[in-house]
Amino acid sequence: MADPGAVARNEQEHVSHVARYAVVWAALLAFTILTWALSRLHIGGGWGLAVALVIAATKGTLVVLFFMHLWDQRGANRIVILTSLVFVALLIGLTLSDNATRFKLANPPGSEGALPAGPTDYGGPPAVPPRGRTVEN
Amino acid sequence: MSDATAPPAASYLAHHFESLEKQTHAARLGMWLFLATEVLLFTALFAAYSVYRYLFAADFAEASRHLQTWIGLVNTIVLVTSSFTVALGLDRATKGDGKGARAFFLLSVAMGALFLFFKYVEYAHHFHTGELPGRYYTGDLGGPGVPMFFVLYFLITGLHGIHVIVGMTVLSVIGLRAGKGAYSSAYHVPVELAGLYWHLVDIIWIFVFPLIYLI
Repeated sequence: MADPGAVARNEQEHVSHVARYAVVWAALLAFTILTWALSRLHIGGGWGLAVALVIAATKGTLVVLFFMHLWDQRGANRIVILTSLVFVALLIGLTLSDNATRFKLANPPGSEGALPAGPTDYGGPPAVPPRGRTVEN
Repeated sequence: MSDATAPPAASYLAHHFESLEKQTHAARLGMWLFLATEVLLFTALFAAYSVYRYLFAADFAEASRHLQTWIGLVNTIVLVTSSFTVALGLDRATKGDGKGARAFFLLSVAMGALFLFFKYVEYAHHFHTGELPGRYYTGDLGGPGVPMFFVLYFLITGLHGIHVIVGMTVLSVIGLRAGKGAYSSAYHVPVELAGLYWHLVDIIWIFVFPLIYLI
């Protein structure tokens, strides 16, 4: 990466990436089968989700680095994608920790520790009269 | 197609760029910025998914078990393979082979259509069994989180499906142009950027598959 222009020139000098693409493709297929097979085991305690996300992140990284050529490109493009990942972590992390640390009764009916769900509660926004059903007057 | 019949590289250079190399880097950076906004668009939905999965973990697991996992698995394999063929198409384009690039891009579009076909089979099944979002849910499962699962299921897979359609359109247009010899080994940025968009659609699905189907 000493010379950022080198890659652009390399691509123009017809460096073939076919072998690299094929290896990445095979790895992606293997990880897809692996994540499916592991999900059949029903690993408990949230580890199933953790394993699935690690595998998905690995697959995503392979695609970004080699199919999308971030491996070969200059720094600015990497900073863009890393910045977006920071905001992904903020958006999901802060939203989730809000709900996770609330007084339980403030969470939607039917969830753990909250009020029991009524017949029309589906955990969504508060009661709107159901459409398509007769409302008694 | 040989480079002799392609337009000279200088004709691709817009007047406000100093060199083709700088123009290429600017185009790539712009595409990555756009892709970052796409990531955040989907992240909003994934954040909503995280919250409701946290609140209704058992209901989400039960609703997910009612999905046809094999469709999710096959669709993942189809999309990953289509990303591979898009990458091969770019490789052809870097060698100045516009017709090869067109063949690989149209093959990828066909795989996108196959993906949408499986999605159609799946949606038809949901409509048939009343597995609809929110208050429209009339399926068999009782938990309060189940209709919410289907709200997020349809939002996430629906938005992703729209992106597949857009991606297929982009790949078709750029692929056909490449086949007519619009690009050369010295200049094939549109081919590259169209590929980037398709790879992003693939990455989103790589995360959708375990989150929706493999709970």
